[in-house]
Amino acid sequence: MRVLVIDPDPARAALVAEGLQGIDPLEVRQAALFDEREVTAFAPDVVVIAADSPDRDTLESLRESGHSSPRPVVMFVDRSEPGLAEQAVRAGVAAYIVDGLAPARVRPILDVAMSRFALTQQLQGDLAKAKADLESRKTVERAKGLLMKERGLDEDGAYRLLRKLAMDKGRPIGSVAADLIAFAGILKGDAS
Amino acid sequence: MSGLADLRLGFIPLTDCAPLVVAKALGLFAEEGLEVSLSREASWATVRDKVAVGALDGAHMLAPMALASTLGVAGDAVPMIAPIALNLNGSAITISTVLAHALRQIDPEGMAQQPITARPLARLLEQRRARGEALLTFAVVFTYSMHAYELRYWMAQAGIDPDRDVKLVVTPPPRMVEQLRSGLIDGFCVGAPWNAVAEQEGLGEVLIRASEFWPGSPDKVFGVTAQWAATYPDELRAALRALIRASAWADDAANRQALVELLALPHHIGAPPSAITWALEDEIVFHEAGAGLPRREHALWFLSQMARWGQIESIEDFALVADAVYRPDLFHAAAGSLGPIIDPAMAFADAARTVPAALFDGRPFDPEQAAAYAAGFPICRLKR
Repeated sequence: MRVLVIDPDPARAALVAEGLQGIDPLEVRQAALFDEREVTAFAPDVVVIAADSPDRDTLESLRESGHSSPRPVVMFVDRSEPGLAEQAVRAGVAAYIVDGLAPARVRPILDVAMSRFALTQQLQGDLAKAKADLESRKTVERAKGLLMKERGLDEDGAYRLLRKLAMDKGRPIGSVAADLIAFAGILKGDAS
Repeated sequence: MSGLADLRLGFIPLTDCAPLVVAKALGLFAEEGLEVSLSREASWATVRDKVAVGALDGAHMLAPMALASTLGVAGDAVPMIAPIALNLNGSAITISTVLAHALRQIDPEGMAQQPITARPLARLLEQRRARGEALLTFAVVFTYSMHAYELRYWMAQAGIDPDRDVKLVVTPPPRMVEQLRSGLIDGFCVGAPWNAVAEQEGLGEVLIRASEFWPGSPDKVFGVTAQWAATYPDELRAALRALIRASAWADDAANRQALVELLALPHHIGAPPSAITWALEDEIVFHEAGAGLPRREHALWFLSQMARWGQIESIEDFALVADAVYRPDLFHAAAGSLGPIIDPAMAFADAARTVPAALFDGRPFDPEQAAAYAAGFPICRLKR
């Protein structure tokens, strides 16, 4: 397990390392400041960052843009921020560790953060796939309509023709349908 | 004892946090019956999270952040409202002196133009691409910010695709200058005073200020959750009254010196007073001509840019979102109740009508047609 702790204070990295004792292999690295190149090179499984670090915005933007492979992020909160950690976790905003926490609690928090992150990633993947499926179904419907109109086929016949084209070319029916629509557009002069 | 709840308000070290800092330092919150503690925050994401979960009652916010949070763009949807704008103008696009030199070599006329467009940069990028050189890196302060939309708009106007032709990164404002020095970034768009700091240290050159990009352009707001506003209407009105009075004080040239000294303190911004003065002269407006009014057309412009860059789906009812988040009615109520202290006419002289947006390229923006505007740009990432 590779953990990157972004915090000028080495004590927090030490706490994390202590809490993760017994995991093998384990590499806990501490950096005072966020550096994208370093993160890319180290490829941590989880990033722990002080909640009062300005680098949080950078990390969040990387997660959103998908420029580098996203990673679960756990926040370290100072004890002087009463309620923030508990409320944030309850609200599902982010995983927070409260400073001064017993090392034994570190591992469960990281585990929860990583599994929740994996779940979110999967849900997002599922959603993207569902959207793509829907899009492809719409495309097939439009291509069918086109064939029915242009070739005088009935709905069943149009679908069979599409399926045959897909099988002949060894390509998904959705992409064959998309090509058909695109070519029909060109013939009508859409892309002139 | 006023019977009002105590408030914790957050701010980021930037010149436009002035209304909050002034209201606290001059005792204006106290005069309105509020006990306020200010919390200097390090990142916008933390400000958003703290306001969302109630660890802060309200905060100095990037205007698009309140919209993004309401729409749940970057996480769970937490409806927020913007009952007052904290300032107009203030940000600027700055590039490294090395890059500025290169741009002057390749397009001296373009660099002499006022306002400067991104044409010289577009030419340089073309040349670099032909030579197979690496992408230049530009930083903004947050994905959902005036700064991000300003830089993207300015680049795209000259044919630069900000998602393809350059590398866009997010860097916290106080770290911009050091990253420019280390060569990690080649330019940035950030709020005051960090552009002036880069110039004064001889590291950067300001190409275009927000007041040239779009005179009277929106920037920061004071944001609270819709739920908090509904639970604490009296506290909110008292806070707005104090912020309006503080904004009027901050605009007054007679208070300039005191304001600069106050902002320069290490627990506020912690930057040289000379750099802070720069944007206060003829750039940032806090109060005059109804600057505090959260204008619907500003929200609609932000939504159009969020749609343009694929951050949200382009929807026809942008107005619904804009009206839920931007609350000029709350501003009017608070400002109107200040009558004897601040002449409401001062705040409303130009506030009643829609101010047409006059961006530097002259492209007209009709707030009623925000979706069509978003779709009308040659470079855009519209989601279907």
